[in-house]
Amino acid sequence: MSIAEKYTDEIQAIFAKYPVKRSAVMPLLYLAQRAEGYITKGAMAEIADLLELDVTEVAAIVGFYSMYHDEAAGKYRMQVCTDLSCALRGADAFLENLCQNLGVKVGETTPDGLVTVEAVMCLAGCDKAPMFQLQQGDQVSYHENMTVDKTMELVEALRKSSKQVDE
Amino acid sequence: MAKLINLTINGTPVTVPAGTLVVDAAKKIGIDIPVFCYHPKMEPVGMCRQCLVEIGRPMVDRATGQPVLNEDGSPKLQFMPKLETACTNPVSEGMAVFTETAKAKSGQKEILELLLTSHPLDCPVCDKGGECPLQNLTMEHAADESRFIFDEKHRAEKHVPLGDLIFLDRERCIQCARCIRFQDIIAGEPVLGFYQRGRNTDIVTYGEPGFDSIFSGNTSDICPVGALTTADFRFGARPWELKQAASVCSQCPVGCNVTFNVRREAKAGGGYVIKRVMPRQNEQVNEIWMCDKGRFAGYQYTEAESRLMATPAGLDAAVGQAVAKLVESQSETVFLASGRLANEDLFTLKQLAAALHAKTYLYTQHGGGEFTTAYGLTSGADLGALGKGDTVLVAASDLYNEAPLWHLRLKAAAQRGATLIVAAARATKLDEFASFVVRYAYGDEVATIQALPAKDKIGEAIKNANNLMIFYGSDGLGLAGTTALAQSCAELFSISPVSQLTGSPVSQSASFPVEQLTGKPEDRTTEQPEDRTTEQPENRTTRKSNTGLIGVWSTPNQQGALEMGFRPAENLAAELAGKTVYVIAADPAGDDPALAEALKAAKTVIAQDILTTKTVKLADVVLPAAAFTEREGTYTNGERRVQRFYPAVPTRPGTKADFALLAEVAKGCGIALEGRSPLLVMNRLSTAEPAFSGVSYETLSQPAEQWPLIGRSDLYYGGTSYENKLGLGVTLALQPKADRQSSTVSGLRPKENEFLAVPVTKLYDLGATVAPAKLLSAHIERSAVAALHPVTVEKLGLGAGDQLSVEINGAQFTFRAALDASISTGVVLIPRSMGLAISAPALVKLHAAEKA
Repeated sequence: MSIAEKYTDEIQAIFAKYPVKRSAVMPLLYLAQRAEGYITKGAMAEIADLLELDVTEVAAIVGFYSMYHDEAAGKYRMQVCTDLSCALRGADAFLENLCQNLGVKVGETTPDGLVTVEAVMCLAGCDKAPMFQLQQGDQVSYHENMTVDKTMELVEALRKSSKQVDE
Repeated sequence: MAKLINLTINGTPVTVPAGTLVVDAAKKIGIDIPVFCYHPKMEPVGMCRQCLVEIGRPMVDRATGQPVLNEDGSPKLQFMPKLETACTNPVSEGMAVFTETAKAKSGQKEILELLLTSHPLDCPVCDKGGECPLQNLTMEHAADESRFIFDEKHRAEKHVPLGDLIFLDRERCIQCARCIRFQDIIAGEPVLGFYQRGRNTDIVTYGEPGFDSIFSGNTSDICPVGALTTADFRFGARPWELKQAASVCSQCPVGCNVTFNVRREAKAGGGYVIKRVMPRQNEQVNEIWMCDKGRFAGYQYTEAESRLMATPAGLDAAVGQAVAKLVESQSETVFLASGRLANEDLFTLKQLAAALHAKTYLYTQHGGGEFTTAYGLTSGADLGALGKGDTVLVAASDLYNEAPLWHLRLKAAAQRGATLIVAAARATKLDEFASFVVRYAYGDEVATIQALPAKDKIGEAIKNANNLMIFYGSDGLGLAGTTALAQSCAELFSISPVSQLTGSPVSQSASFPVEQLTGKPEDRTTEQPEDRTTEQPENRTTRKSNTGLIGVWSTPNQQGALEMGFRPAENLAAELAGKTVYVIAADPAGDDPALAEALKAAKTVIAQDILTTKTVKLADVVLPAAAFTEREGTYTNGERRVQRFYPAVPTRPGTKADFALLAEVAKGCGIALEGRSPLLVMNRLSTAEPAFSGVSYETLSQPAEQWPLIGRSDLYYGGTSYENKLGLGVTLALQPKADRQSSTVSGLRPKENEFLAVPVTKLYDLGATVAPAKLLSAHIERSAVAALHPVTVEKLGLGAGDQLSVEINGAQFTFRAALDASISTGVVLIPRSMGLAISAPALVKLHAAEKA
């Protein structure tokens, strides 16, 4: 189903907020992401049509922000910042160890579908690296001054809580 | 005039208009500040940081507002703690810029070092190598050795096709965004973007088809590294092996200045081969750009397999046969020539026809040319100068498809504040930038134009225009329709005060003395050879130079033919029966089955062409001509600017330039015509044709300094477009006004089950000059569609992309159906030169094609 059909009222409400149509691009992308968990190429094309933008302009926004996703992932996205300042504080080693412990490569999801590990550019937490942001749906939390052990504990807690919810 | 600002750069004083950027001010006095992301045709963004300099500004005492002085009385300068970018800082009074200090040099060096941490060292196999700004600036400004570890270099994909014409090397990209900004700001087609951030930043295109723009080749010219390369040239040759030949694009009436790059190749038996087409700067015509049709189809047709080669009996024998036929037929001869011919060819033809008392017709379906010779643009015209207060009307023309560079320049004019009125029967790409869009039904063109003055705001814009420029095309129109449209457009000048414009026309007398027209010859200065307006006595013309009527022709030199008096025949087929028909650079038999029949009914057909056309195939005598890439000549563009083109490759054996062939034929008929060189023909032409008075190969090849400075050793600044060293061309004088005709065009009314089929022009079609371009085949295929209103498509039981059968005069033709919601339900748009002969609106039947 297209976004326009699925979220007709929300889209109208969003349009009403912005005098210039193209300004609505980010809220519409969130709508599209809510629908699928990530933004499909089809959704980008549809939003481009709605806002009279080129699809590449819409895609460029998806590409820029780490809170928009262009691929499906596990329940949680663990986005580790590996930019220069974080790298100097050991982000690369942290990421490598973490992946080993989780048994995945960067960009992959744990076999139970719980966590996807991603490497991203600057999250503005330079002084508290190694750090990552954890995303689930619209929820985001920062986890700073992390070690692999602390992270594995967090993953265990997430695994438990999501099992409880499932049961 | 902008306020002038005084500053010093490295101690040299310079005075420039307010608003000038430091980098440009330095350029003006020959000081090069290295840049990557800055381009003089685009607003600065300050992304690459390469142009770091020290900028001192006079200190002002805050309490008194007085300048603070040093002990020696000179103003005390205040510097920012860090270096500043020369591309984002406009000049200010008293500014002192230092580009060569140790601090500035080290800043520039460090930025280069950072860029090179991740850049592949593949210059020896990189297509940009030899004309690469990064390579040059590295040699000039960077450290000798890298401090970074080669093995830790960034790896990325190296051959990414963004579309089928442009390839991206992700490793080489330095993220300057010139290509993205060009597509967004200049082309108005924002189909490129950045994806991700930081070191992961990639150039992407998400549209279908990829890199969907007709200006895509220009991004490769302005790419300061080898990241963007064109499909035709990559791995084709090294820049330093190439020789340059100045030329003019032959694909449309804009007349973009181009440079052919040629080299000798073993593959070609040691002969010269054209390797690529590059834009050549002419700020008044194409600036430093060109469209993809010119770039990827610009010369390919001259090398097509269908290229007409020497006949077995030899050229002399063919000329002998032609002579025999002409001597026999004399005034019973009809000459048919198109605007693909150069001015020199047309003039020679005109003289030959006059000597034989034969009729001559211009082969075109685009009429109304007689109005453009009287109301056209005059010297000093420049679409780049249109702005606030000026009005541009585009009538029945899809400039994006018909003349891309005019589309580009009018878009820019509208963005500078010119009032752009687009009157068309369907949506066109220019609508987006128009101040007013006037939509009419096909058939109502003339009435629509006539009604414009009565419309409130549009009427005001026309009446009060400082300059009024009108482009008229042939969208959905045939010969009669375009002629009537031209007249209605010309009449708009009479309601505008700019319209005391025609002044007294030039005399038609062939012996018109040059002095009368242009002032005494010795008064003519060589400083500004192209600007003749200023030299004409005041009573000659009061019109403004950016005012006039422009025909959007389908050939490069239709304007030149018109200026020499060539006119189309109202009923061409009827003119040919029983006559000896001499067809030059035209393919009536291929364009229209009715004309093929007419040629078969002719007594004799002599065909002179560069390609083996259908007309050539049914001709009795065939004369193979040299292509424009193999000879010298001039074209007159739609703006009435005569421009020279030069030979790029040698003439093929057994062929000759059209004017030379015609002169030989004339010689056989006992008529002495100049056939030795086009220069000599032009000398005669400029004496005989009043409009061309004062035009000579010397005046045509006068270069003048243009801004921005492009194509010198400093490729990093403007890109690899070539500097114009061989002339900006000369604009013709106006001719007497045409007699008003009371031509009426009878509108076609579709009966039940009938549709009105109208011809429209596609940029990429199967025309003889485009189809041989193999790289464009997918683009041509996409253009082969007949557009219908969505409701009509549904009624016919079709969907977009389904096969649609068009029945016209009993003949069937199949197109893919496309949707166009901007046209009425009773209309079908048929692309010209796509297989179905359609020269004027016609009634057709439509149905779903049977599946094979």
